[in-house]
Amino acid sequence: MSSPEAPAAARALSSGFGRLVVLVYVVFAVSAGVRAVFQVVTKFDEAPVSFSLSALAALIYLLAAVAIIRGAARTAMAAVVVELVGVVGVGALSFAVTEWFPEASVWSHFGSGYGYVPLVLPVIGLVYLLKRRSDRTAAHGGGFT
Amino acid sequence: MNGVIEWLYLSAQAAALALAVWFFADTARSRRVGIANVVGVGVLEAVLLAQLIAALVLVPGAGGEGKALFFSYLVTALLVPVAALFWGSIDRSRWGIGTVAASCLVVAALMLRVHQIWEFRIDVVA
Repeated sequence: MSSPEAPAAARALSSGFGRLVVLVYVVFAVSAGVRAVFQVVTKFDEAPVSFSLSALAALIYLLAAVAIIRGAARTAMAAVVVELVGVVGVGALSFAVTEWFPEASVWSHFGSGYGYVPLVLPVIGLVYLLKRRSDRTAAHGGGFT
Repeated sequence: MNGVIEWLYLSAQAAALALAVWFFADTARSRRVGIANVVGVGVLEAVLLAQLIAALVLVPGAGGEGKALFFSYLVTALLVPVAALFWGSIDRSRWGIGTVAASCLVVAALMLRVHQIWEFRIDVVA
C-alpha cells in the first residue's frame, strides 16, 4: 500500500491530483470507446462523422491516461492539447454544420451530452500538467506533500 | 415489483452523492483513505448489487432494446468505485480519497443513464 519516501521533485505524474485526473480519463476512454465500438458496428452509416469522432476521442483519452500513468509529460500534454482543440472545434462544427451530426458524439455541442465534462476535462488536465512542469523546473527543494 | 428498481435507483443516487460530499470533505481536510471510507463504499456497492440482482430478475423477461445497455451501465457503476478505491488508496496525498470521491460522482452520472434507459428503453410487462 505504501510507496517508498520520495522527494517532492520526483513525484510521479499520476500521484496526487494526477490520480483523480487519470481516473476520469480512464472512465471517459472506456465509456466513449465502448459506445463508439457499439455504434460503429451496429449503425455506422447513420452518423459516420459522429461515430468516428467518438472513437478518436476515446483513443485520445486513453493516450492521455496512459501517458500520465507512465510519466510521459510531453505526450500527455500533446494529448490534452489535441483534446482541447478537438472539443472546441467539433463543438463549434456541430452547431455550424448540424447535418454532419445526426447523432451526438462525445465532443459535439461542447460535450453537452456528458454534462460538459469533455470541455472542462482538458482545461483541468492542461492546468495540472503545466503546474507540474513548473514545479519540476522551478526548484528541487520544497518538501510539499 | 417495478417500484423496486425505482427505490434502489434513488437509494444508489443518494448514497453516491452523500459519499461524494463526505469524501470531498475528507479531501479538503487532507485525510488519507481510511476504514470508514471503505465501509462507505461498501454500502454503496451493496445498494448497486441489490439493484443488479433486482434487474436480473425483472429485466431479462422485459421488452425493449435497451437491456444490454442497461446491464453494461450497471456493471460499470459497480466496478468504478472499487477500482477507484484501489487506485486512490495507494496515494499518500489528499487526492487519494479525492479520487474515490470523483468515482462516486461517476456512479451518480452512470445511475442517471441507467434510470433513463429503464424509463424509456425497457418495457417491463406488469
